Amino acid sequence: MNMAMFKADGKFAVLIAYFKIILTYRAMMLIHAIRLLLLPLVLASAWLSIEKTASNPYSDSDYLLYYLLVPVIMNLTDSRVVFKFSQAVKDGSLNRELLKPFPPLMSYLLESLANNALQLLYLVPFTLVFWLFVRDRVLLGHLKPSLLLFFVVAIIIGTLARLVVSGSIALLSFWIEDVTTLNLILNGGIWALLGGMIVPVATFPENIRHIAELLPYRYMLSFPIEIFSGRLSNSEIYIGFATATFWIILFAIIMHIIWKSGLKTYTAYGG
Amino acid sequence: MRQASIILHLWKATIIQSMEYRASFVFAIIANFFDFIFGLLQYLVFFTAAKSIAGWDSDQMLVLYGVFMLVFALHFILLYPNLVAMGDMVNSGNLDLLLTKPINAQLVVSFKRISLEELGSIGTAALLLGWQFYRGIIVADLGNFLLFGVGIITSLLLIYCMFLLLICLAVLMERLDNMSQLLWSFFSLARYPVEIYPNRIRYVFMSFFPVAFIATIPASALLGRASSVTVWSGFALAIVGVVGCSWLWRCTIKSYTSAGG
Repeated sequence: MNMAMFKADGKFAVLIAYFKIILTYRAMMLIHAIRLLLLPLVLASAWLSIEKTASNPYSDSDYLLYYLLVPVIMNLTDSRVVFKFSQAVKDGSLNRELLKPFPPLMSYLLESLANNALQLLYLVPFTLVFWLFVRDRVLLGHLKPSLLLFFVVAIIIGTLARLVVSGSIALLSFWIEDVTTLNLILNGGIWALLGGMIVPVATFPENIRHIAELLPYRYMLSFPIEIFSGRLSNSEIYIGFATATFWIILFAIIMHIIWKSGLKTYTAYGG
Repeated sequence: MRQASIILHLWKATIIQSMEYRASFVFAIIANFFDFIFGLLQYLVFFTAAKSIAGWDSDQMLVLYGVFMLVFALHFILLYPNLVAMGDMVNSGNLDLLLTKPINAQLVVSFKRISLEELGSIGTAALLLGWQFYRGIIVADLGNFLLFGVGIITSLLLIYCMFLLLICLAVLMERLDNMSQLLWSFFSLARYPVEIYPNRIRYVFMSFFPVAFIATIPASALLGRASSVTVWSGFALAIVGVVGCSWLWRCTIKSYTSAGG
């Protein structure tokens, strides 16, 4: 897509507008930063002071690298569409969105993009400084360009996966008044447990790990970091990409169906 | 006495108010229940890859979680709704109205509202602790229970200090939403025993920024692993903290120039 087309479509202007809106709420960014950084730091400290089970393949270096990257990946794949969309249905601001000559769901994607890109302003320096502190304990000798390419692709796939899963839950707002409980279970709880937030997926016992690898959650957080750590073979990476792509397509179709039938039942109350 | 009866009346009013929205009240209880279950599952999953954390085995960690949830639920019932209300009060100018009333403003700001949504969590946390008691992880020892009681009071007082600091911040900044998120983030520091942190950070958590006393120390007391000196010095720290933060609150109100209206 060339630049002129992008501009003509209005997407670029909308993206810039969201950047400006977010910069207006700088204090919110600070609170968000604390939320993103604190828990991974706590978990890193916890994992560095455990007595390992015999089958646990991770070393201290693995754990440090893992939780150094968690805030960055967590932020890049984050999507707040559940909160934004259910709010828009409740207070009627969706009505306005529907009237714009612009796909409403696209604006949520752009808002997420602007938000997540801006968080990198402090996340990247923070990660680098923290890495300097622990650099003699983190091994990075295995990194090669092809691995970094896989890493970037995995992040994009993870972002899409989280977006379509969150989006499907968000669109249920057409029928369910409060989707946050559902989101807490399907998107928050299981994601934290099996996506690799609390426990890196690679350190699970065999049977739990297989389940985690089949579910979409691993691809939203753990998978890119596993690639970065160089612990996955090429075939494992391809299988991962295939699994994640399957989930993305499935949920994109689900989202499409929900959106079509939801719009029919939507009566645009509020304003 | 008069103050207490005013607070009781305010509580009654908020309960009646929340009963107006019964469906969302039930939803909130369900959400909190799942929150508790997922918190519990986190520890179980954690221990599939670890035998112990900094000398705490899985049973002792469950005691820590029970204590943590007890404190968290109590904060949620007593302080959380007031923290949410404070943002609105400063924004809408209702704080000015409150300050003109012949009543202790700090008391009303701190305890005006109550939320019963987390009552279930208290019950579940108590069940968890009871189960650990039944299994003999927690030993019946009057001295330990006494220290545990002091530890819980210390913990609640320290959370109240944090609450006071946050509402002072709300008054000073004149616009500060999502303060509860900030408070919850800090709670995540207390989910794991304070022994996991490097020495220097642990020292900070035992003194200037007493995270250790939120859950680790009360849980250690219950398990008979805390020295009474530590517990009582934490209590002293908490008293000094509440007095200091109350003083800060009065200073803040003095310099308050009113916003909104």
